[in-house]
Amino acid sequence: MAEPLGADRLLALYRKMLLIRRFEERCNALFLQGRIPSTLHLYIGQEASATGVCSALRQDDYVLGTHRPHGHALAKDVSPRIIMAELMAKATGCCRGKGGSMHVGDVRQGVFPAVAIVGAGCPIAAGVGLSAKMRGTDQVAVAFHGEGAANEGDWHEALNMAAIWKLPVIYVCENNLYGASTHFDKVFRVAHVSDRASAYGMPGVTVDGNDVEAVRDAALEAVARARAGEGPTLLETLTYRQCGHSRSDACDYRPDDEEAEWKSRDPLTLTGARLLAEPHSLPQSALDEAEASVAAEIDDAIAFADASPAPSPDELERYVYWEGD
Amino acid sequence: MAVMGIAEALREGIREEMRRDPTVFCIGEDIGVPGGWGGAFTVTLGLSEEFGPERIIDTPISESGFAGIAVGAAMTGMRPIADVQYGDFLFCMMDQLVNQAAKMTYMAGGAVKVPLVMRAPVGSTRRGAQHAQTLEVFFTHVPGLKVVAPSTAYDAKGLLKAAVRDDNPVLMFEHKLLYGSKGNRAEKGAVSPIGEVPEEDYIVPIGKGAIRRPGKDVTIVGKLLTVYRALGAADQLAEQGIDAEVIDPRTLVPLDKELILESVRKTHRFVVVEEDNRTHGWGAEIAAMVAEEAFWYLDAPPVRVSAPDIPPPFAPGLEELYVPSVDRVVAAVKGLF
Amino acid sequence: MATQVLVPPLGTNVDTVTLVTWYKAEGDAVAAGEPLFAVETDKATLDVEAPAAGTLRGVSAAEGDDVPSLSCIAWIAAEGEALPDGAPTDTDEHLPARTGASPSPPHPLTPSPLHPLTPKASPWARTLAAERGIDWTLLQGTGPQGAVVGRDVEAAAQAGRRPAPTPLAARVAQERGIDLAGVGGTGASGRVTRDDVLRAVAGSEPASDIVETFALTGVRGKIAERMMRGSHETAPVTLTAEVDATALVARRKALQAAGLKVSFNDLLVCILARALGEQPRLNAVYQGDRAVVRRSVDIALAVDTDRGLLAPVLRGAERLTLAQVAEGSAALIARARSGQAGPDELKGGTFTLTNLGMFGIDAFTPIINHPECAILGVGRIKPTPWVVGDCIGIRQALWLSLTFDHRLVDGGPAARFLQSVVRGIEAPGAEDEE
Repeated sequence: MAEPLGADRLLALYRKMLLIRRFEERCNALFLQGRIPSTLHLYIGQEASATGVCSALRQDDYVLGTHRPHGHALAKDVSPRIIMAELMAKATGCCRGKGGSMHVGDVRQGVFPAVAIVGAGCPIAAGVGLSAKMRGTDQVAVAFHGEGAANEGDWHEALNMAAIWKLPVIYVCENNLYGASTHFDKVFRVAHVSDRASAYGMPGVTVDGNDVEAVRDAALEAVARARAGEGPTLLETLTYRQCGHSRSDACDYRPDDEEAEWKSRDPLTLTGARLLAEPHSLPQSALDEAEASVAAEIDDAIAFADASPAPSPDELERYVYWEGD
Repeated sequence: MAVMGIAEALREGIREEMRRDPTVFCIGEDIGVPGGWGGAFTVTLGLSEEFGPERIIDTPISESGFAGIAVGAAMTGMRPIADVQYGDFLFCMMDQLVNQAAKMTYMAGGAVKVPLVMRAPVGSTRRGAQHAQTLEVFFTHVPGLKVVAPSTAYDAKGLLKAAVRDDNPVLMFEHKLLYGSKGNRAEKGAVSPIGEVPEEDYIVPIGKGAIRRPGKDVTIVGKLLTVYRALGAADQLAEQGIDAEVIDPRTLVPLDKELILESVRKTHRFVVVEEDNRTHGWGAEIAAMVAEEAFWYLDAPPVRVSAPDIPPPFAPGLEELYVPSVDRVVAAVKGLF
Repeated sequence: MATQVLVPPLGTNVDTVTLVTWYKAEGDAVAAGEPLFAVETDKATLDVEAPAAGTLRGVSAAEGDDVPSLSCIAWIAAEGEALPDGAPTDTDEHLPARTGASPSPPHPLTPSPLHPLTPKASPWARTLAAERGIDWTLLQGTGPQGAVVGRDVEAAAQAGRRPAPTPLAARVAQERGIDLAGVGGTGASGRVTRDDVLRAVAGSEPASDIVETFALTGVRGKIAERMMRGSHETAPVTLTAEVDATALVARRKALQAAGLKVSFNDLLVCILARALGEQPRLNAVYQGDRAVVRRSVDIALAVDTDRGLLAPVLRGAERLTLAQVAEGSAALIARARSGQAGPDELKGGTFTLTNLGMFGIDAFTPIINHPECAILGVGRIKPTPWVVGDCIGIRQALWLSLTFDHRLVDGGPAARFLQSVVRGIEAPGAEDEE
């Protein structure tokens, strides 16, 4: 079991989650103003999952995000500037305007272009883990995915091969209860996705995905296993998508009491309260300062994106093939 | 210089690349099992003895899975040579090849490379609808992939080495009837593309075609097996006073367009021979390219000789009708005069 | 059981052939193995034998048609036997359709044949022709379906070693009968232009080359005046009809055998006299601002003489027997030819008969012999394939060309008159029953 976090480090996780939350909220506002020209899959409500997992990683570890990737990228310290520029389709975006919301990433931070085909990132993460193992590094690879991916063939093939070859991979299943609009109970006979881990001969762990410390602790354990050459872990983080599947989703299929209950367990509220309480006992001003600095960072990201040019027409056919470092 | 077939030439190419570069490894089904086959067509036979199971990796029967693994490894500094037993199984890994491997560099704005080689045997060989397709065109249509199709042992080794060293995903299609007429995996009806293969390091550059037979009266383009059908036709045509030029593009993407166009500008007649289904096919693309870019040099319409729009049939008599024959090529060419 | 008559596949490279000849006609009896029709490929003409014995029926392709290999172009069946469904009936248009089970594969294993509307020159031929300044439309194509291809242009360039004349120059040269080989070109790359041709024309007409000059006076002047008035002062319309003159020929032969020396013109005069009686408006002359319909049928007979065209008039033809017509016209013509015809004999006709059949002319557009209302031109009589009932037979056919002055008479009466003449020719004998 990992050491409990001190106030400073927990505050840092709080700030990261707050950055994701406020970033997503501003994205939503920019979308409504027509300044982001695509739909958005927002990470609001799930911040503790990515933040907790990525807090257990090194800068040279690898992350594969999903079609809901902003939180994964921010949690792995991809600059909000280049993410925002990408969302606003600017040449300075992390994908030079070729990727958009569903493919944000920055390989300098070990974050690959997010894979927006459900489940498809899982074998790729196994390959990344295989590569780390063959190259003799102790890097690990994290494949974030929703519970929906656990019903894709790629997921099963990937978990099996990661297990048989003991690859340094952590399969983080962010179980937010809904695959698009379909509830978990309609498409699983098992109680937890992690129950399936035993079928592949790897540990399966389920944690409160809204508790950043619980997620971090579980991730640290999985990372340690991976680095030690003991193979992959399936880590299920139970969380909730507080907004719709995408911008156009009103979530009429979800019961109000379910939404209310999960909102009462909002990861920011949870961690904020923990910081104000014993043993951390931070003053409210510490949280206010975090709020202010996050707002400033996002303002800066938007200003950067605004000031950036759109991709020039002569970029149209570039980067289809590798053009060199 | 050693004389060998395509399977051996590929094996030597893989061996040399693996010796040269420790990031090169092979991954696929049944490729390194001791006492096994060395893949469905013996290409990796004996390599696990030299490089061990760590670099000749046998996978479960999980085509999409190991394709994704190859993609992930390629994205992080490795150079995998993946192998499917039959090209038909590429359809099982379509997402990994088309959505992931082909697009990763583009989606990353050029920040990620995927130096992946995927080898796939194709061609009608008495195996019917799911083990005998010729499906290059599914992949030549995908931006971000390179596609090569060697028809000689020399080219097989040279293109394999070029593909391994390329920083993009390269699909290598190999024809089951061309692996070689010797050995225990020789196919009935195999023609022999056996030839001299240098032992020293060399590559055949991706994107460079070859004139297999110079001629002045008509340009015939074929790939893989149909190169040999075209050459057979050229022999017959020569007896009838028609001097055919036979071109083997060797690389399908990027295509050596200028080699073909230059030939057409000289001969003024064009026939493309393909084992692929006719409609929306590879031949259609090549013919369209000729029509668009060499129209004013043509003395007759560009013509395709293709497989009909049916799955590969099993019955040998039907299969013979399916794969373009020398006679069909001859007839098509004579129709242009 | 009816048997298909199929166009044979004459090699892998031949998609259509030209049907050159039917040796048998619809309804003819045929024996198995006897030559039935001939086809022509770009290489050879080949006879095709009848595939069975019986009656040739359901012929759906005509001589000259391009017919696809393996298409069914007729049937051999018993007389009266019903032909299979889809077989063309005797009244069908020429539809060389594939019928029955086609032996061609369902899939185009070989390239489809070129479209019948294939341009006559390939793109390369056009490119090359433009480069070499050669007019490809003047070349004979040797490519697919006769298209002009690059080698044809090359050959033309080799042969000429000089650019083709401009199309206008070529036309002018043809009109003036100038051989372009001797004409120097001053156009682009030495192309022969129209001006080059005109210069050559001028050069080829030295003053010493004049054979004769003559004034349009005398008989010539009279002819000129009548022709001008006939063509400029009337509203001429020409009706033509082809008529089966077999009976007329037979009748003349019979009369001659009986000792009566009659010409076709004599027979025609009698027929005309009767027809003009039925349609008197055609027997009229124009006077000032009115037409005068005459009772007396005075037929002017166009005669080619040394002095030029003369038209002595045989008067009162409606009252004359055939023998009288023969005798009278022979005397008139003899006088005209010998220059002894009196002025009265050469004017005052009501209708003119002109016959160029002896010169091998089929049909022509006569000019009205002013001030008459109409003139009948008669062509040669020649054996011609003719539909007789359901059969094609050889008949002695004859073209009639009636030019009439539409100011005086309308198309209806004129056509009825011509019909009347046709009936008289087809059923001769009635004209001299009286």
